[in-house]
Amino acid sequence: MTSNKRKRNLMVIAVGLTVICYLLGIRYIISNVSAYGSEGGENTKHYVAVIAKSTESNFWQTVFAGANAASTEYNLSITVDGPDNEEDYETQNRMIEQAVKDGAEVIIFSAVDYNANADAINEAVKQGVDVVVIDSDVNSDKVSSRISTDNYQAGRMAGEAALNFEDEVLNIGIVNFDKNAANGQQREEGFRDMVSADSRVNIVDAINVISTIEDSKEGTLQMLKEHPEINVLATFNEWTSLGVGEAIKESGYADKVSVIAFDNNVASVGLLETGEVDALIVQNPYAMGYLGVEAAYYLIYDLPLAETKVDTATTLVTKENMFEDEFQRVLFSFD
Amino acid sequence: MHTEENMNKSRIRKSISLSALMTGVVACIVIVALVTVLVVFIKLYENSMEQNSITSSEQAVVQVMNTVESYTKDMEEIMQMILANMEQESTVRDEFFHNLMQIRSDVVSVTTYDEAGEMLNYWSDELELKETVYQNLSYREIEEGEGMVISKPHVESLFADYYPWVVTISQRTQNAQGEEIMVCMDIRFSNIANYVDDVGIGQHGYCFIMDTEGNIIYHPQQQLIYSGLREEKTEMLVDLKDGAYPKSSVIYTLHTLENSNWRIVGVCYVDEMITSKVENMIRICMTLLGLALITALLAGLLFSRIFGKPANQLAEAMGEFEKDAENFQFELVKGTSEVTALSNSFSQMVVQVQQLMERVRQEEVTLRKTELKALQAQINPHFLYNTLDSIAWMCEEERNEEAVEMVNALARLFRISISKGQELIPLAKELQHAESYLKIQNFRYKNQFTYHFDVDPDCLHYLCNKITIQPIIENAIYHGLDRMIDEGRIEIGIHQMEDGICMSVEDNGVGMSEEQCREILYQDAGDRIGIGIKNVHERIKIYFGDKYGLFIYSELDVGTRVEIRIPKVEEGSYDIK
Repeated sequence: MTSNKRKRNLMVIAVGLTVICYLLGIRYIISNVSAYGSEGGENTKHYVAVIAKSTESNFWQTVFAGANAASTEYNLSITVDGPDNEEDYETQNRMIEQAVKDGAEVIIFSAVDYNANADAINEAVKQGVDVVVIDSDVNSDKVSSRISTDNYQAGRMAGEAALNFEDEVLNIGIVNFDKNAANGQQREEGFRDMVSADSRVNIVDAINVISTIEDSKEGTLQMLKEHPEINVLATFNEWTSLGVGEAIKESGYADKVSVIAFDNNVASVGLLETGEVDALIVQNPYAMGYLGVEAAYYLIYDLPLAETKVDTATTLVTKENMFEDEFQRVLFSFD
Repeated sequence: MHTEENMNKSRIRKSISLSALMTGVVACIVIVALVTVLVVFIKLYENSMEQNSITSSEQAVVQVMNTVESYTKDMEEIMQMILANMEQESTVRDEFFHNLMQIRSDVVSVTTYDEAGEMLNYWSDELELKETVYQNLSYREIEEGEGMVISKPHVESLFADYYPWVVTISQRTQNAQGEEIMVCMDIRFSNIANYVDDVGIGQHGYCFIMDTEGNIIYHPQQQLIYSGLREEKTEMLVDLKDGAYPKSSVIYTLHTLENSNWRIVGVCYVDEMITSKVENMIRICMTLLGLALITALLAGLLFSRIFGKPANQLAEAMGEFEKDAENFQFELVKGTSEVTALSNSFSQMVVQVQQLMERVRQEEVTLRKTELKALQAQINPHFLYNTLDSIAWMCEEERNEEAVEMVNALARLFRISISKGQELIPLAKELQHAESYLKIQNFRYKNQFTYHFDVDPDCLHYLCNKITIQPIIENAIYHGLDRMIDEGRIEIGIHQMEDGICMSVEDNGVGMSEEQCREILYQDAGDRIGIGIKNVHERIKIYFGDKYGLFIYSELDVGTRVEIRIPKVEEGSYDIK
């Protein structure tokens, strides 16, 4: 009798388990089926935070445009943020923490400071957030994907542009931004490697300025005053380009000094057309934003990333080719 | 016994049990059904999805086309107004342009050129014309009678630090002075671009604009395309007429704008739409499959409990019945009505078979008893003649006392032999019977042998079959002592055993071989010795079971010991069967 009772109990348990399995299964099916309906719903969107070096510049505006386009396409919710000036890594670190708190699944990040941002990024990864680096790298091996201009190659491209000038002697002055920003240093390195091979070249001076128009203009004027022999100026980001352009405009050296600058700010393009700037290295910020968000999508859905390091192309634009069809599309972004 | 049982069980296990069969069949049916459904569903779904995708791309593309067309129509109308105003006074004209720019913020500028391409006039919303225009992208020479021309999108290159993307609509006309001039209106392209950007087809589908030569006019991802990070195979689309073209995983939908060389292309990725849903479907089906398997398993379990297990129990019971029908006790097996019916019938059958067997056994026993009783009544006539002869001879010799003793012994012998027809008599009587017989034979054989009784008096009140010792003694005398030269000796003992009584008859005669011992117990003795030893053996067995009976120990030339073992049966405790 007792064994019979035990068997009966076993049966009851088996039936109970089956019923529970059934209910769970049906729940699962229903949730799966209803997932069709809620696929486009706001509440199911995955959140991706974009933390840039700044938010003002044309470069970053274009990055955000690309990011927004991709977020619409991949149905992700994104926020864009960045410090007011391009030296403020502390604010950036706070933004990383905040993004983690807000439940970001992926942070798309561009580092103000190669080393000072590393800990915050590592901490975020530890919290389970994937990190995609765009534009400017950070000293962390936990980054899932890096999407940026090949900065060294961009520097070499700038160097090549300098060597195209037909002057007999090239006395070069370099106006670079924050020494701690990885991309600026890589560009300068590429530039130096390219030009130093040529016998005409003489690098007269190199300065690091704060990445604002005023500061770089100041620095440039100072440098030109100290070294009047300078006939080529190279500078490596949007704000310093504008500063250098302003300085040339103010000093009236448009004909005497050739300028190689970076990025396609409308003002820089204007300076290219009017001749203060002689060559622009145009990056592809739209692609950075777009591909960054695309990578985030792949990470969220656990799809394999085709590459962990993507080189967004750079283009050398001069006054001669700036209005050609192909270069128009690179140089002028759609607003 | 045990090994046989195990063999039986393993034989049962080797063949598939009904419940396992059930589970398997259900599982197979479910799997086949689900797979079929899945395949059919996927096929149907793919087809309907493709149709859906085609329809939705078609709709999206037509919508884009309509929007772009209505926008260009709008602009053409504005152009007509502009042309009409060209003949007005310059103050009126300026007023008109000022208002136009205010109302239509998407009109960037209007410029006029003479036949040589020199700019005559420009109107814009307070934009500053460059001192030197490096390249004028808005101007294009218009042939006479060409009508209205819409340019490709380009950058506005006339104003300082202002580079919006525009398309230029140009037309030839005459001004107030009747001179041939060309009017060019630059319209911001971002309206169309933004619109195209926002058109989505499916999850990742999009629209783009190309011209009839396959050059991309506008593409939402053109920045990626121009930098080589993306590819759009427009050359493949150039030759296609308007319509929808499914190409492997992509559906291209093309529509050409009216009065223009622009074509709207919709790109829709069927594959990912389907695969993601099919994956979902497969997941659901797998869950269903799991559920169905669980159900099948449970059903099997239930089935085995309800039917399989009782069936096995029945089968086992039958096996046991087969082995030992007599002592088998059947417990009813519970289960479904079929099983209970089967179990009930089997139970009845068991009872009937056992009753039948009992009856047969009883009949057989009765028959044997009758038979044996008949035999037991036969006293060897030679014995009687010889005894009477001896008595006569004694009387003749006037050995009256001895004669009297002989007659008495004979009389006792017969009385006990008859015993009112009872089979079981007390041991005491049986002993008397044996003693009488010995006495008679001793007279007859002139004291050729001696005999001796060793009796445990506690045994005397127990019952035993009558005429059991006498045939053994008879055998001992005729076969053991008859041919002996030395004096024979017969020892009769009655002792208690653990579970019965042992009566023994031991002689020092010629003895027997083992074969002879067996023969005596199991073969008919013939009629030489009245009631044979076999008869005694069988009677004891019939009355008390196989455990009891005769046991013979014999050695040639040494002697024979016959033991009769019976249970301790007291008067009234044995029911005569």
